[in-house]
Amino acid sequence: MAILEVKNLSKNFGGLMANRDLNLEVEEGEIRGVIGPNGAGKTTFFNVISGVYKPSGGTIKFDGTFITNLSPDKIAELGAVRTFQRVALFPNFTVLENVNIGRHLHARETLFGAVFGMSKHMEIENLEKSRKIVDSLGMTEHQDELASNLPYGLQRALNVAIALATEPRLLMLDEPVAGMNPTEKAEMTRIIRLIRDEMGMTVMLVEHDMRTVMNLCDKITVIDFGEKLAEGLPQEIRENKDVIEAYLGAEDIVA
Amino acid sequence: MDWPTFIQSISNAVILGSIYAIVAVGLALAFGVMQMANFAHGEFFMAGAYVVYVLYALGGMPFPAAVISAFPIVAALGMVTERFVFRPTRGNVLAGFMATAGVAFILQVIVGQVWGVGLMRSVPTPYMGAASILGAQMSWQRLIILPSTLVMVGGLWFFLHNMKLGKALRACAQDVEAASLQGININKITALSMAISGGFAGVAGALMAPINAVTPYMGHSIIVTAFIVVIVGGMASIEGSILAAFILGFIHTFVTTLFDAVLATMAGVAFMAIILVVKPTGLLGRVRM
Amino acid sequence: MIRYLTALAVLAGFAIMPEVIGEYYVEIMILFMINLILASSFRLITTCGDWSLSHVVFMGVGAYATALLAKFLGWPFWGTVLLGGMASAVVGLAVVFPLLRTKGFGFFIGSFALGEFVRLIWVKFHFPFGGPRGMIGIPSIELSDIDFYEATPYYYLVLLFTIGCLAVLYRIDLSRTGRVLKAIYADEDLSKCIGINVARYRAMAFSVSAFFAGIAGVLLAHRLGAIDPKNFDVNTMVYLVIWVVVGGVGSFWGPLIGVAVMMLVGEAARPLAEWRPLLFGGILIAFLTLLPGGLDSLMSKVRELLDRRTADGTKEN
Repeated sequence: MAILEVKNLSKNFGGLMANRDLNLEVEEGEIRGVIGPNGAGKTTFFNVISGVYKPSGGTIKFDGTFITNLSPDKIAELGAVRTFQRVALFPNFTVLENVNIGRHLHARETLFGAVFGMSKHMEIENLEKSRKIVDSLGMTEHQDELASNLPYGLQRALNVAIALATEPRLLMLDEPVAGMNPTEKAEMTRIIRLIRDEMGMTVMLVEHDMRTVMNLCDKITVIDFGEKLAEGLPQEIRENKDVIEAYLGAEDIVA
Repeated sequence: MDWPTFIQSISNAVILGSIYAIVAVGLALAFGVMQMANFAHGEFFMAGAYVVYVLYALGGMPFPAAVISAFPIVAALGMVTERFVFRPTRGNVLAGFMATAGVAFILQVIVGQVWGVGLMRSVPTPYMGAASILGAQMSWQRLIILPSTLVMVGGLWFFLHNMKLGKALRACAQDVEAASLQGININKITALSMAISGGFAGVAGALMAPINAVTPYMGHSIIVTAFIVVIVGGMASIEGSILAAFILGFIHTFVTTLFDAVLATMAGVAFMAIILVVKPTGLLGRVRM
Repeated sequence: MIRYLTALAVLAGFAIMPEVIGEYYVEIMILFMINLILASSFRLITTCGDWSLSHVVFMGVGAYATALLAKFLGWPFWGTVLLGGMASAVVGLAVVFPLLRTKGFGFFIGSFALGEFVRLIWVKFHFPFGGPRGMIGIPSIELSDIDFYEATPYYYLVLLFTIGCLAVLYRIDLSRTGRVLKAIYADEDLSKCIGINVARYRAMAFSVSAFFAGIAGVLLAHRLGAIDPKNFDVNTMVYLVIWVVVGGVGSFWGPLIGVAVMMLVGEAARPLAEWRPLLFGGILIAFLTLLPGGLDSLMSKVRELLDRRTADGTKEN
């Protein structure tokens, strides 16, 4: 069953067609890569699916439900969560607290409960789950550090941890390895594989780093000028003439 | 409403709209150039009124000279405010706005202590008598506001579109970084904007001195209206401010005539709230509040 | 441990204060504590990043509610204080709803406009609000045999309410709800994308803070015995802003420190008479241009320095 069905998706910014008639289906349990030259409309695509932008046309179905014009928090509630290209975290909280805030969807607190300290049970559970996520991402030794003090690579990992805390069915990663050195990239690749293999989530990622994409993804969709250029297995994409042409001159298409 | 009252109301509305326009244009200019929201704009208006009180009522200077003097004097106040309040808080609209509340307090106290609080200073009317237009009586004192508004707003328009410094101002309002890359001295522009902004408020107050009661707190009512006008018009839009000024002048005048002044203010405030919800950028604006 | 002892010491100090200071100062302390509730409830809104210029109007809603209920309907105190708070919370919801489309400066100005609209209702309608002259003859509180007309019993009543309100606000700040508000302030987009309904939380913070402002208003009304719309105008609001800016909103205690410092300054500056607002205006400008984080931020800088000084790794606490 396709967990994500995008049909004829368009996004118009006052004359600029950032996304044009995009069609895409992601199967549950897949790791899907979305690539394309700079300015192709990949992040716009993510922004539309996650509800940050409203589409100008087309429909989006997640897990059988239409999410086309829903707000980002509703979409997250349904199980589709995205990370940001920029470092997005809560700077004045520790790593563990950051992940714990991500448990929001699984921590119903009423005002009364807030004042009288009810749901202590749930809080202990949530803290445990947060700790497990921090562990699985290899950040245990940093868990009490302020998020703003972390090195860049760990901050990007924290982004993923916060998203994982929501227990999503679909995780959308926006350039997860941007600006990372080879070690950090390898670590992030391991984490993404773990997310699919051990946590059973579907992953969709936008990336420029070809090696990572080719290694990691089951299937790749290529976007150029807001339209779908090609789609298929990594091997097919690597040899696709149109894709090579779109990237002509770019150094990242090293095999 | 009978015909004479109707005509009277229309003419009152036009005059009121004109004053609103002068005040609001000043506010919109400062905000458009560098997001300087001046809480003390009403006190600048008040300062202009006191300039006329001191120079004309106490000092015997001819009325037109006193009104014109209000411009440079209050412009100077504007520049001081820019230098010591807006420049240090540049980038933080709220901080600048809150800090100018302090400026408002300071001006109220100084004026009140030097020229007295409590008793309303009345400025003798320089132009007695009225003209009869289409059956309505308009005092000359009020009528002179119309050409004054035209001169000031027209003059500003000319300045912004045909003079180098004015064009630099508009460039800064559009894109600060690009403007500074072109070699425009941003600090000079912000100082100039606040000077013009203050000058406009001052002249409006000066023109109203013989009409309104001159007290240190006369700025209170004008500041609420000024911000309503500017928000309805679109925070940084001068054309929007002028349009909104007349719309609100009409609302205020007609509601006051039909009901009372309190309800008129409430109507203005409610109108602003509706605009904020329905079209947050204002009637002609682009800046999202 | 030290914290608990300090807290106990402070509480004990407050408890015996009326015995030690004169009646004039007891009245001042009553106002001081009411302002503590006002400032702390204001801080709740700023936690998620919204600054409001309508907060004192909600104090007014509580004040007018209790005045009307007690004077015209003869309601007892416990009824009016509860309804005063609820009325403020409800009006707060009505006011914040259209504001949710704005933020920052737009929210500030919009909140002022809507607050002013509410306040003008009191100015306009002589019945039942008394118009510009307001309401007089607000009955004093009657509970068992204690005469709350006197300053000292009223002091203890307000002290109890202040402790209660501040305790609740403190608990909210420490709770998950408090953390969500801070998260919204830190990164609204991220908060939305992890399932936080930002609008709902902003509205809740605004409404709850209005509730406490209403309680403060009830306590004020029964002390003054008379209220009018000028008690809750923009002038008063600016004073609240000054307290909060001076104290800082970074920590829960910031605004409370701000109220304390500024009330001390106000008392010390009494000889200045009509020049006082000038001093306050100058202080506001000084803080916003030189120390925008308030005294709070000074404290954290000092704490940081102390933390760094203990070079052998043990942390000062």
